[in-house]
Amino acid sequence: MATKYGGYMDRVVLVDLTEHTVENYPWTDEDREKYIGGKIMAAKVLNDHLSGQEKAFSEENWVVVSTGPMTGTGAPSSGRFDLSCISPQTGILTSSNCGGSFGYHLKKAGIDALILKGKCPGHTWIEIDNGEFFFHDADEDGLWGLKSTEGQEKLESLLVKKWGTHRAFGQLIIGPGGENLVVYSAVLSGERAAGRTGVGAVFGWKNLKAISVTGNHTIPVFDPEKNEKWNQKWFSYLRKHPLTGNQLPRLGTAGLVSSMQMRGMLSTKNYSAGQYDRFESVNGETLAEEHNIVNKGCLTCPIKCARTVDVNGRTVKGPELETLVLLGGGICNDNLENILRWNNELDELGLDTISCANTIAWAMEANEKGIWNSGLSFGKTEGLSKLFEDIAYRRGIGNELAEGSRRLSQKYGGTEFAIQSKGLELAAYEPRRAVGQGLGYAVSNRGGCHLNAGYLVILEGLGLYTDPLTYKAKGDFTMMFQDLMEMISATGQCLFTSYAFFPGFLITRPNGIITRIANWAIPHIGWAVRFMNRFPLTLALHLPVFPQTKGIQYAVGMKMTFGRYLRYGERGYTMDRWVSTRFGIRAKDDALPKRLTEEPQDPNDPRTKVPLEKMKKTYYRARGWDRDGVPTERTLKRLGIL
Amino acid sequence: MVHVKLFGLLRLDTGLKEMDADVSSVKELYPILLSEAKRVKPTTQVTAADIDGCIIMINGKQGKKNSRLVDGDQVQLMSPVCGG
Repeated sequence: MATKYGGYMDRVVLVDLTEHTVENYPWTDEDREKYIGGKIMAAKVLNDHLSGQEKAFSEENWVVVSTGPMTGTGAPSSGRFDLSCISPQTGILTSSNCGGSFGYHLKKAGIDALILKGKCPGHTWIEIDNGEFFFHDADEDGLWGLKSTEGQEKLESLLVKKWGTHRAFGQLIIGPGGENLVVYSAVLSGERAAGRTGVGAVFGWKNLKAISVTGNHTIPVFDPEKNEKWNQKWFSYLRKHPLTGNQLPRLGTAGLVSSMQMRGMLSTKNYSAGQYDRFESVNGETLAEEHNIVNKGCLTCPIKCARTVDVNGRTVKGPELETLVLLGGGICNDNLENILRWNNELDELGLDTISCANTIAWAMEANEKGIWNSGLSFGKTEGLSKLFEDIAYRRGIGNELAEGSRRLSQKYGGTEFAIQSKGLELAAYEPRRAVGQGLGYAVSNRGGCHLNAGYLVILEGLGLYTDPLTYKAKGDFTMMFQDLMEMISATGQCLFTSYAFFPGFLITRPNGIITRIANWAIPHIGWAVRFMNRFPLTLALHLPVFPQTKGIQYAVGMKMTFGRYLRYGERGYTMDRWVSTRFGIRAKDDALPKRLTEEPQDPNDPRTKVPLEKMKKTYYRARGWDRDGVPTERTLKRLGIL
Repeated sequence: MVHVKLFGLLRLDTGLKEMDADVSSVKELYPILLSEAKRVKPTTQVTAADIDGCIIMINGKQGKKNSRLVDGDQVQLMSPVCGG
């Protein structure tokens, strides 16, 4: 029976890569009502499938490519989709989120999600045309071995040749990094990347080079008239908001570099410091003034945070904040043009810039400390382009660096300065000056990710400026933000749509009385946040600063309130955790390197380190997990997971 | 003389990266900065309220608009930011 909801195409496809066959995977309205879509839907599929024995590089490691119900409905920034599987970097459940237009085209082909199981017998690319699947030989068609841009151009020429004309389509592709099983390989889609946690290597192991998708189905909307009116208001709200309408379009994510420097949270020299004395050479202002050609955005995005720059005479995607920081001060490089070029090279090779930069920073420190003779040193940037190639093709020391900082430090020593959690290298925010962010990095389901962490830096200096060193209320806020972001991703929208959650005056008047009261009050209202987290359904309301809930009602037709929205997020976040506990994840794994928990960033201020154990206790209690970080039976039943 | 550096949208909107000023408080900086901005970028729309909304750092520590300044102080003014 067809779905009664809008926003869904009513088809999930199980693709057997070994046999080159497809069948429909059972997914009902009852499932949609409970698991919405995107990464939460994927977590449910994988929860039902995984026993805890599966390895990342195995036929049993299913990859779920999932859209959300808002994808393609015209809602702002709703072009995102998720790739979920067991990560080769962390060995546990991951979900890697990506922008661009692939999700939209998948739905136009009449499909909500793909589940990829097995392993292609030979190098393969898959063409999906209006719901029909064609398996092609990637060697014969000259795709295998190509870098990402060349590969996508080749893909387009193959399709145009077959169709005899140009058609709109979406694509996923891996570069040489994924083909050679570099554990932090990305899956590219146009210029966007599902960059983190090594899903590209899983594609590579499965001999899957690319997927193209096209179609002309209509994406249904529950109440088209109300949906359109609401979206107009929503677009207008985002365009008028100082963050989403001014800051992000004009400076991109790179605009944070200078404020991170001022707050002492700019990761520098492998996180040994929080300020970089030459940050002005590699900040967002310099990028905007001297290099940005034009802003770009994903499908239906009014924010357009992406930069474009010139590299070797070609207009290419510019670096995001993380890349700018970690390939800048992170390795003591003050040459912005180098970063623009490296960013492009890493995209072409299909490598995650964050993990790659941090692994190299670890190798630089290990070399300087005499632990591992990598030949690399901070500030010495000659030869890095060749090193990236060596990593992607697993040559020389590149073959070792391809394994990431956790495995290298376990082999050679230096775990205390391997800046990773659960095997995933941390993002650019130095958490000793934002301890709530430190908690988030440690407990994050997919490892050291700034977003899955809950992004508490937004309260701790990069939006509001509540005490960044106090542990008070941080566990409760972390849970709430994680749950909100979990749900936003699952619906197919960009997390940046949530920045308008903070009323403009709080942001533009940081010295105003209301903002100062808010900054002071936040550490004292943990109890209230805990209540909302525990009893979200009491929040049976819509917030004017959070248009997402009414958006879902109009586009999908599900009854949604702010409280229900939080509950969905909690269910998804807890289910991710529940699956990973099957793979042995416990409190001991919610950890940070000793540098961040035992060495104060400022030797004269003992508070400048992450009081992790203290915050973890509050966090586990808030989540209804036991002391070992395992969701209790009561919690699982309350959320309908058991 | 204090040295002032501008960051964020304030820098883009004024066209000013840095300047020196002979002032004894942050507040005294405002008219000087506005007039310098008008000179460098005549089309600038920046007002005193915009500067008032900036994050103020003095010698690396959080400051206020009434903070006193002495010779050699380094002042950083940054329009508020959020999210990445």
